[in-house]
Amino acid sequence: MTLATDKSTDVPPRVWWSRPAFLPSPSFVRQTIHTIGLGLPALLVLALLWELAPRLGWMNAIFFPPLSQVLATLGDMIASGLLFQHIGISLQRAAIGFGLAVVVAIPLGLLMGRYTLFEKLSDFLVQTLRNTSQFALLPVFILVLGIGEASKIAITFYAAVFFLLVNTIVGVKSVDPLHIKAARSMGTSDWDLFRKVILPSAVPSIVAGARLGVKSSLFSVIAAEMLAAQSGIGFLIQNSSLMLETDRMYAGILTLTIIGFLLNYGLVAFEARATRWRASDDKGAV
Amino acid sequence: MSASVATTPPVNRAATSRIAISDVRKTFQLKPGQSVTLDGKVSDRIPVLSGVDLDIRQGEFVTIVGPSGSGKSVLLDIIAGLTQPTGGFAAIDGRKVVRPHPETAYVFQQYALFPWRTALQNIEYPLEVRGVGRAERRERAQHFLNLFGLRGFEDRYPSQLSGGMQQRVAIARALATDPQVLLMDEPFAALDAQTRDILQSELLRIWEQIKTTVVFVTHSIDEAIFLADRIVVMTARPARVKESIEVDLPRPRDIEIRNGAAFNAYRARVWDALREEVRKAQRDWALASAYNA
Repeated sequence: MTLATDKSTDVPPRVWWSRPAFLPSPSFVRQTIHTIGLGLPALLVLALLWELAPRLGWMNAIFFPPLSQVLATLGDMIASGLLFQHIGISLQRAAIGFGLAVVVAIPLGLLMGRYTLFEKLSDFLVQTLRNTSQFALLPVFILVLGIGEASKIAITFYAAVFFLLVNTIVGVKSVDPLHIKAARSMGTSDWDLFRKVILPSAVPSIVAGARLGVKSSLFSVIAAEMLAAQSGIGFLIQNSSLMLETDRMYAGILTLTIIGFLLNYGLVAFEARATRWRASDDKGAV
Repeated sequence: MSASVATTPPVNRAATSRIAISDVRKTFQLKPGQSVTLDGKVSDRIPVLSGVDLDIRQGEFVTIVGPSGSGKSVLLDIIAGLTQPTGGFAAIDGRKVVRPHPETAYVFQQYALFPWRTALQNIEYPLEVRGVGRAERRERAQHFLNLFGLRGFEDRYPSQLSGGMQQRVAIARALATDPQVLLMDEPFAALDAQTRDILQSELLRIWEQIKTTVVFVTHSIDEAIFLADRIVVMTARPARVKESIEVDLPRPRDIEIRNGAAFNAYRARVWDALREEVRKAQRDWALASAYNA
């Protein structure tokens, strides 16, 4: 019997050019332009108000310098390299704390999600810690770990670890029992079951947790730097405010916004890539 | 390989049979607080299999039909070593099955492909967990993918494949390890009628090349006759073997065979054996309101 009768086995058509994976799809580009086009006017109105309010005397220019002045200061700070120094330090602290959280939360979450006894033993503790704000704990970290790097890394770790842990547990618990059964029937060992079935099943949930965790880490390091630090974007903002160098302060705030934007875009792209097997939009032969 | 083979001392059974099922019983224990009413008695245990005896020859294609809920899938799970019988035993090549046997492969109704792996990577999986090297497993997986007419779909994820193609990948995955025993639990039940016909023929075409032993559970009498060397009819729950019907139709079989008189005669015979059991099962399910699980 030939397969010619079954349309679903047709080989997909070959095209002379296919879009490299790193380029966004045309539909994505179109959608983005559309989104920006619609969203931009509101942002421009805000920028205009920011520029005009101090110039027209609606607000005190000392506390609220016009946007053009802030952007000029921002340009100077970029040119002098000062800005990147602070950005680098803040990102490094957040990255170390977040990295530690990944190393701790994922193995722990895999165990807690898989073994009920393990979860019962630790769940109450986790829930207690999770509901204690990392900001409230900041003075404790500083008292115990000092005002150096350790206390900042500790708070970024604390800020991310529970997002990762809880989402890893949820991910492990949502593993399809049929996948476990199929894996068992093929003679999968316990170790391979963890590596090759449970972990990949949990990846979408873990990545979603990581996205929240990264943001939380970044916000926490800024807060920590405002309280006790001699460097970092948080320190820059706080210190400029104290010195009444408000154009620098706003430049710092704007920088933070841009970093947040880029980070979120990167994380969304990473999430899409890590879970691309879920994609159903370019369904082939159905 | 022998170190990982599920073994206990060989059991003395007919030497010619690849699979020996002897007085297999299975009773499910309900969770605390749950109960059922069986034959007017309240119980927290449900007997599903009550003494199944079956010998399956090497290279034989056996289909199992029976009313819903008669424990056909449980029987497959026991042969697969995924669950233990409450009494009796299943043996492959004279050795009791106590855990998944490396020479057994299982195909499920819902495909059970790993959605994060491409078609080719799915077929590679059982080879991967057996420690087959990358190059060799890729080559073998590609061979079985081609065998099912899926060339060009290597890098598709299951979500990008139709149901029929997903089940082809699942069967290719099962065959990739050259299993001695292939267990199939209603593999085509979720497919539309045309795809189902095509896959039945494809399965027979490939089976005639490899002649592995197949145990195939189905709800469809036509499917059972079309595929089988022998049809095993199960009773209503708690299930036993009611009747074993040898199917003496020539091979290779064409789909047209289903219009012939001989096929019709088998159809009547299987339905005769099944009718009373289906009625019993329906009475059983009518009592399902007493089932508080």
